[in-house]
Amino acid sequence: MPQRRAPALSRIELLQGTLDLIILQSLRWGPRHGYGLVQLIRATTRGVLQVDAGSLYPALHRLERQGLVKAAWVTSERKQRVRVYKLTRTGRTQLDAQRSRWEQFSQAIAGLFVPPPPAPEEV
Amino acid sequence: MWWKSRRARANELDAEMRAHLEMDTAERIARGESPDDAARHARQDFGDVTTVREVTSDMWNGEWLHQLAQDTRYAVRGLARAPGFALVAVLTLALGIGANTAIFSVVNGVLLRPLAYAKPGRLVSIKSQFVKQNLDFFPVDAAEFIELRQRNHAFQNVGAYTTGAVNIGADQLPQRVTSATVSPSLFATLGVPPAEGRVFTEEDAVPGGAAVVVLSHELWVSAFAGRPVVGTEIMVDGLKRRVLGIMPAGFDVNDEAVRIWTPLRLDPAKPAQYRGGHFLFMIARLKDGVTLGAARADLETLLAQWAAADGGSQSTTPGAPGFVHVPNQTTHRLRFDDLQTELIGGIGRSLWVLQAAVVFVLFIACANLANLLLMRAESRHKELAVRAALGAGRGRLVRQFLVESLVLSLAGAVAGVALARVGLRLLVVAGAAGIPRTTSIAIDARVLAFTLGLAVVSGLLFGMAPLMHLGGTSTSLALRDAGSRTTATSARHRVRRALVVGEVAVAVMLVIGAGLLLRSFWNLLRVDAGFDRSNLTTFSIALPPRVYADSTRRVAFYDNLTRQLAAAPGVTGVAAMSGLPPQRNIDANDTNYEGYVPPPNAPPTNAEYYQIVTPAYFSTMRVPIVDGRSFGAGDDAMSTPVVIINETLARTYYANQNPIGRRVQVGGSKTMFTIVGVAKDVKQGGVDSKVGTELYFLYSQTPSTAYGYTPTSMNVVVRSTLDRNAVSPLARRVVRALDAALPIVGFRSMEDVVSDSVARPRFLAQLLGVFAAVALLLSAIGTYGVLAYSIMERRREIGIRMALGATEQGVLGMVLRQGLALAGVGLVLGLVGAAGLTRLTSTLLFGVTPLDPATFAAVAAFMLVIAAAAAIVPARRATRVDPLTALRAD
Repeated sequence: MPQRRAPALSRIELLQGTLDLIILQSLRWGPRHGYGLVQLIRATTRGVLQVDAGSLYPALHRLERQGLVKAAWVTSERKQRVRVYKLTRTGRTQLDAQRSRWEQFSQAIAGLFVPPPPAPEEV
Repeated sequence: MWWKSRRARANELDAEMRAHLEMDTAERIARGESPDDAARHARQDFGDVTTVREVTSDMWNGEWLHQLAQDTRYAVRGLARAPGFALVAVLTLALGIGANTAIFSVVNGVLLRPLAYAKPGRLVSIKSQFVKQNLDFFPVDAAEFIELRQRNHAFQNVGAYTTGAVNIGADQLPQRVTSATVSPSLFATLGVPPAEGRVFTEEDAVPGGAAVVVLSHELWVSAFAGRPVVGTEIMVDGLKRRVLGIMPAGFDVNDEAVRIWTPLRLDPAKPAQYRGGHFLFMIARLKDGVTLGAARADLETLLAQWAAADGGSQSTTPGAPGFVHVPNQTTHRLRFDDLQTELIGGIGRSLWVLQAAVVFVLFIACANLANLLLMRAESRHKELAVRAALGAGRGRLVRQFLVESLVLSLAGAVAGVALARVGLRLLVVAGAAGIPRTTSIAIDARVLAFTLGLAVVSGLLFGMAPLMHLGGTSTSLALRDAGSRTTATSARHRVRRALVVGEVAVAVMLVIGAGLLLRSFWNLLRVDAGFDRSNLTTFSIALPPRVYADSTRRVAFYDNLTRQLAAAPGVTGVAAMSGLPPQRNIDANDTNYEGYVPPPNAPPTNAEYYQIVTPAYFSTMRVPIVDGRSFGAGDDAMSTPVVIINETLARTYYANQNPIGRRVQVGGSKTMFTIVGVAKDVKQGGVDSKVGTELYFLYSQTPSTAYGYTPTSMNVVVRSTLDRNAVSPLARRVVRALDAALPIVGFRSMEDVVSDSVARPRFLAQLLGVFAAVALLLSAIGTYGVLAYSIMERRREIGIRMALGATEQGVLGMVLRQGLALAGVGLVLGLVGAAGLTRLTSTLLFGVTPLDPATFAAVAAFMLVIAAAAAIVPARRATRVDPLTALRAD
């Protein structure tokens, strides 16, 4: 039986640049391997955000190249050799910056839904 | 870990993806899927593994390469859209870079490239030095060679050589070629084995040994067409000699293009007999681990003990009877110099001056390009702003600018190397007489690397200009109004003006440098060499000594030759002389002067130049006799031996007495020559040096007197009203009738002889003149470009001024003033810079000081005229601005 997916409309197409934020933020809770990240994101967003492996691995490697994450091979408790990613100090700083930008953006969007104050009368 | 190899990283990613799939599959199985379904679904969910692999690996490796390729494509496309700009840019760069490549090829070939011997850095040139006579690089005698070879502790091996010329019986015509008479040890010292056959052994070099030679590769090809000659006999100076071997191509000593090698025959057991005959040069190879400094220290010990080691049989008191030049520490030293340094002599400074000059030219070219790119960037202002807004990062834009300028500079470098190849050929021809080692000048890997480096550096330099522009404006500002004038615009104008000021300053320095060197060259040519060089043609003949073994035959030959030539119509005078002025080798033969009392402890008296001439020398060369008489018909083999001295000799040895009638004694011999006349000074050591003491002997008296030597090789001069081209066939005809086997060499006008004697300053002045002209042209173009552009930008302002009643003259004056102001600032900076820099060239100057006011003033005036000329076209264009159109535009 195929895995249950969220209905098409409720899935959000990832905005360009958001993927980095999602990955960095997810690594905030501790080092994880790629598969673990996919699961974590799916679980924490209740299946709304789906990161497919095809985007995840290039992104992880790009972040590694930029020095925002660090990778190491470890053996998991299930005796599986896995590559585990960890946030670096630069990655943490970058995450903070991206998060505050995101907050500004989402507040701005939220502001759009508040009815505007009455316009001053024209002179 | 970005430095991992591409393959390692790919394997790692594969393992990582495999782990992902396995974990997913395992989890699916745990949820109850069948193993097959689980694996399939996991793969479906993952997506296309190959794409992930490619995209990720691009992330690591391909990204910058890919972007570089893309930037290069953008750059090429952008340049193709502006072919005029691209062409001007590439040509300017080709000129600048090509000149640098050509000059660096010379610097590399002459100064940097090691000599073509085994471990050339270990080779030492050994010459003698007569401290009190100012003879710094004098030949050694054979005794010194034999003794140094035996006594030294520093050298693995010591070789000796002397060069001359011989006539070769070639397949077709007889040839006169440079020969070297060498000790067998020379080949071993230089460490170059023969290409074929063998070189000399010590047995070949004993006095009375067999007649043998070694050929150069070049002579083997040119005279014997490369056919097998080793073991056969060839004719050398009219005698049969057996060929032992052939040296590899390019093998030479002292950069003299030696074509044939003969053995130096010495008896090492009896060195003393050779004492005083200085004609050899030595090359030695340092023992492993011994430095030149250590060898020099060893030399001091040797010099201190030389006379004692010689048994003390020779007197070491100068002037005492039996005194000869045994080496010692104070008056007669030996000197050790690095072979290559000694060989290239003083050319280094000239070549570095030229290299600096072409770097200046390139700087001007770069300044022009920077200005062009700046203007181009301004016209692309809007495009750039749009691209920045669309998300092209600032870094990416910067890189695109740099890639564009690098594409230009690399294209310029390619064209420049092509130009340099042509230029180099001309340069080597022009400089052959003035620079050593011309055969090793070529565009090699080092020159290409230098060119590449230069292209990259200049590309980055002029690529910076539009970046300043990028830095000066914010993109949002640019978007709002790409055409408006902002404070950033005036910053850009400052940059452009600074570039023009800079290039004018550099051009001024170059033109002043070239001006000083051209004046030096002009002064050198105007020096009175002591003879009338017009309408004189010269050539040289060498009689084979064995064929003309009897010296009276030699005299008869030159007597016949001069008489027959003089009888030809149009010829007004003919003479032969042993040394051709104004530049020949110094003799410095010991000579005693009757009536001269030397100060105590003075070195033995000598004459710096011996000149053996036929009677018509003074009338043909038009050298005035200032006292006494010239040689006459009464002076011959039977009459009293006579000699004529020059003014310098009269001043030196007969300052307070009448030299006429006094007698001189040639070193060692008993014959006394009576002084019959004093001749005006003639230059012998080059037109730029002081005239040395000179003695003129009569050729016909050399066999009968104890002079002891009747030269076989003489320089003939012909004064005639004939066209220069008519003298050569005449001379050939006369010589052939006398002896068909004699080659004639060195056909030149005496004007050319004098000019060639200053070949090095000529080479330097000509090249620097060309570079200064290019610099001048480029800086004029630069001034013009900036003014023209600023007129275009200010069209509107000018239109308003004219609408408000400004006259044409007013506008013209305004633009001219602007141009002259720019040039004026550059001029002042250039004059100051030149005042600092020309001091470095002071050793290259002659008859003009590094701060020569006339040159500085002339260049300043000239630069202002050029600047006015560059400004006049844009200024006139400004006066034609139609106020209405200008106001309507925008």
